Amino acid sequence: MKIKAKIKNGITEVKAMAKHDMMTYDIAEKKTGSRDNANFITHIDATVNGKTVLDASTSQFLSKNPIFKFSFKGFNKGDEIVMNWVDLKGNTNTSKSKIK
Amino acid sequence: MQRRTFLSMAAGAFVLAAVPASVRAEDFRKSKPTVWTAHTVEDAMKAMYGTTETVAEGVKVVAPDVASNGGAVPVDVTSDIKGKTLAIFQNVNPESAVIVYDLNEYSIIDFSIKMKMKGSGTITAVVQGEDGKLYSGSKTLDVALGGCEG
Repeated sequence: MKIKAKIKNGITEVKAMAKHDMMTYDIAEKKTGSRDNANFITHIDATVNGKTVLDASTSQFLSKNPIFKFSFKGFNKGDEIVMNWVDLKGNTNTSKSKIK
Repeated sequence: MQRRTFLSMAAGAFVLAAVPASVRAEDFRKSKPTVWTAHTVEDAMKAMYGTTETVAEGVKVVAPDVASNGGAVPVDVTSDIKGKTLAIFQNVNPESAVIVYDLNEYSIIDFSIKMKMKGSGTITAVVQGEDGKLYSGSKTLDVALGGCEG
């Protein structure tokens, strides 16, 4: 996952892109013949210093390689942001970045 | 009230009270599975919040009037309301729910995503306020090329 986190006036703005096909049930059926091959990110979260700053349950209707932009307050430059996603098949990804 | 009923209710209340402490972040796909299978915005909202009554103010949804690519429609949702959750729905894909955010004291409602739209339709964002009310905003747009077929 690509993560860019920038702080300005105490508010951290994050742009993150997850690399994922986000295959919907309809696309899976069309391309592979089986709806069971659908796979998409179902949950994504972000923490800074162990505190949750993003927590989203997601559906198949996010774009391919989905982009998440979000903002939060309460942290400082140099703090580490850790993002995790999990998909329908149970694959996970963890990525880290520093707040700049 | 019968003693047995009371005891089972007490046990249920205990379980409910115990859950939030053990689960740091709520996975709405597990806790509210019917939200994700609902075919209409109304059904999805009922599954999520138990009602479809919203105050249509305070939530701003920004998306292009005409989206050329339905596979990645940029959507921004902003609001100054202190919220517990934010849910985004649309009314053209096979199911309605797109994403549900769980909010906390660090959150600022200023989210952007790119989503798929099978055709022209309306995107609705609902903020569940800390006052218990639901606030909503929506945006209707044309989609030139639907994005669910890949």
